[in-house]
Amino acid sequence: MTIPLLYALVGVVLLGMGLYSLVMYSHLVRKILALNVSGAGVFLFLVAAADRTSGPLPDPVPHAMVLTGIVVAVSATALALALACRIHQVSGTTQLTDNEPD
Amino acid sequence: MSLIDFLRPMNLPAWIISLPLLAAVVTVVLPRTSRWVGIFIAIIIPLVVVKLCIEILDQGTLQMQVGGWQAPLGIQLYADGLSTAMLAISAIVLGCSTFYARSYFTGKAALRSFWPLWMFLWAALNALFLSADIFNLYVTLELLGLSAVALVALSQTADALSAAMRYLLVSLTGSLSYLMGVALLYAANGTLSLKMLATTAPASPSLSTAFALMAAGLIMKSALFPMHFWLPPAHANAPAPVSAVLSALVVKASFYILMRLWMMIFEPSINPSAAQLIGILGAFAIIWGSVQALLAKRLKLLVAYSTVAQIGYLFLIFPLSSTPQTAQTAWQGGFYFVFSHACAKAAVFLAAGTVIYVFGHDRIDKLHGIVRRMPVSMFAFALAGVSLIGLPPSGGFIAKWLYLNAALTSGQWWWCIIIILGGLLATAYIFRFFSRAFSYLPEVAEGRPAPKIMEWTALGLALCAIFLGLTAPTVTQLLNAGKPF
Amino acid sequence: MENSLNLAAVTFDGVLALVLLVLAWQLLRSPNLFKAIVLFISFGLMLSLAWVRLKAVDIALAEAAIGAGLTGALFLTALDRLQRNNQKAGDSLTSQPGKVIAGISVLALTGILGWTVWTLPPFSDQMLALVSSNMPISGVENPVTAVLLNFRGYDTLLEIGVLLLAAVGVLAVTPSAVMVADSAPSPILILLLRLLLPFIILVSGYILWIGKYAPGGAFQAGAVLAAGGILLATAAVRFNLSASKALPLATGIGLLIFLLVALATMMLRGNYLQYPVAHAGTLILVIEAAATLSIAAVLVLLFVGVKSDADCPAPGEDSKNFIFEEENTIK
Repeated sequence: MTIPLLYALVGVVLLGMGLYSLVMYSHLVRKILALNVSGAGVFLFLVAAADRTSGPLPDPVPHAMVLTGIVVAVSATALALALACRIHQVSGTTQLTDNEPD
Repeated sequence: MSLIDFLRPMNLPAWIISLPLLAAVVTVVLPRTSRWVGIFIAIIIPLVVVKLCIEILDQGTLQMQVGGWQAPLGIQLYADGLSTAMLAISAIVLGCSTFYARSYFTGKAALRSFWPLWMFLWAALNALFLSADIFNLYVTLELLGLSAVALVALSQTADALSAAMRYLLVSLTGSLSYLMGVALLYAANGTLSLKMLATTAPASPSLSTAFALMAAGLIMKSALFPMHFWLPPAHANAPAPVSAVLSALVVKASFYILMRLWMMIFEPSINPSAAQLIGILGAFAIIWGSVQALLAKRLKLLVAYSTVAQIGYLFLIFPLSSTPQTAQTAWQGGFYFVFSHACAKAAVFLAAGTVIYVFGHDRIDKLHGIVRRMPVSMFAFALAGVSLIGLPPSGGFIAKWLYLNAALTSGQWWWCIIIILGGLLATAYIFRFFSRAFSYLPEVAEGRPAPKIMEWTALGLALCAIFLGLTAPTVTQLLNAGKPF
Repeated sequence: MENSLNLAAVTFDGVLALVLLVLAWQLLRSPNLFKAIVLFISFGLMLSLAWVRLKAVDIALAEAAIGAGLTGALFLTALDRLQRNNQKAGDSLTSQPGKVIAGISVLALTGILGWTVWTLPPFSDQMLALVSSNMPISGVENPVTAVLLNFRGYDTLLEIGVLLLAAVGVLAVTPSAVMVADSAPSPILILLLRLLLPFIILVSGYILWIGKYAPGGAFQAGAVLAAGGILLATAAVRFNLSASKALPLATGIGLLIFLLVALATMMLRGNYLQYPVAHAGTLILVIEAAATLSIAAVLVLLFVGVKSDADCPAPGEDSKNFIFEEENTIK
């Protein structure tokens, strides 16, 4: 097994772990943490795939993709956290309310 | 370097994307100009899109390499009949909704929050429809999703905030799934360009897995049954113009990407029974969504469930296009659904918003006789209802007729039953509201008068839905330009 | 290949991979949210090491600054707000059968994905060759910067848009964007600021400049500058976001400059975002400088936006007049 393949598989496992936690836990902060871990897994896979070039230099396009992804992830996380805090402020809960019955 | 150079056809996509982005920055930096900037964009973007339509009807396609770099190094913007038609529909719906929003949002806080978000939403939609690069599509999807979520949260009620949070979580999960698919495609094929993937990607396990991931993500964002649970609360609790645009355009954007990927890259190599499965999910959506709409107590919730049902129709494209003779008809039918539903649903949401503005609530059992106070809005609702049910001469009728055609020609008569049943159920829930609105019971309590703009933009959109039916030949010609199917 | 033959490297990578997995597992299932967030920050730092091992130093810089540092700070301030009245970190799991079904499906998904990854065809060097051959006319010497700001600059343009959008969104969700400190800032913090702030600005400028030749660039520089900004904000007694006039301009300038350059290149040279070869380096630097300022402003704003709530009136009370002039509730 080569080094890139190892990290790629780690990335896939992280993606799975994050998805499982996203579904299992109901606290909003946990869900946001889970999404961040899953995102890190996808990025790991991307960069590991980039390192499979035949020479010493890695492919820079996945690097640019992951940099973009990190920035998008922090933007989304900030919005999610602000929403979660506001929900807590307005309704006192840190979990999603059930769908309306009507 | 003359003035005409600016408007060279090749640059049209760049203007269509850059103008709303520029407007977004201006509304952030100079909030006091927000409303004027919004109206300016609402007028100019439709004009530029019309020019693009003329160009596409003439030339067929239009391509632009951003930065002058050829694919696979650079990003390509690509306009054919399908993307131009999507741009046109979003220009119409967003244009009318902008005029509506200008009267709807009167507070000062809206200047700093609503208008920049609205401009980002428009920019994201335009960038999405013109993009031909799978990673660029991811960035536009995120731009679209985040602005939609923030717009839903603007109502500031507990329900709206919770709905926005649910929408955000679903949207992010969908984007992540899509991104993993992009990563797999790049790792296996070394390119991000749609065109190159279409021609060079061999069928392989990585291709099927990538498709499954991307489809799952996009289906979550398009609210196909059973991933629809986030849509009714989000669309029902958002401010009215936001609901209109969400139902009309935002859920269709991810569907558009799914269709593009399907048509260009994945279709030859995917199992036909997968297509039938997706069709069954669509049928469930139609039935279940219509039933829930029948049971809804609030008008906006009824309309939101109607969206769930109508999205089910879209996914019938998959099984109906499985044979080569019917493929073209099925795709045209599906996209005709997209266009007519966009106009009709937006009209209905705007009218519902006017109801809330006038009476302060939207509980259906308390809305009897309101046609006397707001005849224009109710007429708009009626016309839009005609299209939603699928009666001639509306766009909805054309769409259903194309679908029935495809179903009968390919021998899949069971879909005909579903489509007709859907139409009957739609009639039921539309008339459920109508019988109250047009009833002769004593009139409801006083409400304040509705601004003319709000009523007439709803009517304008409803008329577009009917117009789509009357101008079917031209629309079909535009849709087929550049042979997208 | 040399990688798989070097035993020390393999051991290091194996251990790092294991650490990453264990950290993730622990942070996801820890019942104490504070512990989970601290573990998350450590996870981010370990991830930075992984990036270095995968020859992605630019990403390592960004991950340490933004992914671990700033995201961790955001989580901590959010947790502080959420737990102000409620000390428990509520943590309800779903019922047993749901757990089993979800577990099995995730395992299946991970298994299929893992197998797909294992059987991927060999990577083609085509993209790397294309980038390398076009480096001389790109205006910079760092391939990642070339891809980010030149070859695929359009993605970066949209991404800066996403940042600005997030700032607007966070402010829209936070009705009173006023951050009030619980007490006067400690003298240690003020001393630290006096020492660090000029240094931070210098380092940020250096990272921006060096991005042309070596790992670095606008995002990393912006993150460092944001760290200084956040320190400054936490030392302030009262920080009113809505009243600030300079802040909106600072957040918007990055996207504005980028768009103006794009439109100018379109109108003067006929191609959107095609830099004239002779000036490519300068243009990229100008765009990156504006972007650094914007990124820093947005990241600071995101932090303050998530943090601020101290003066908020009772729930629901001020939401009435937020957008509509008259009451307009949806029951």
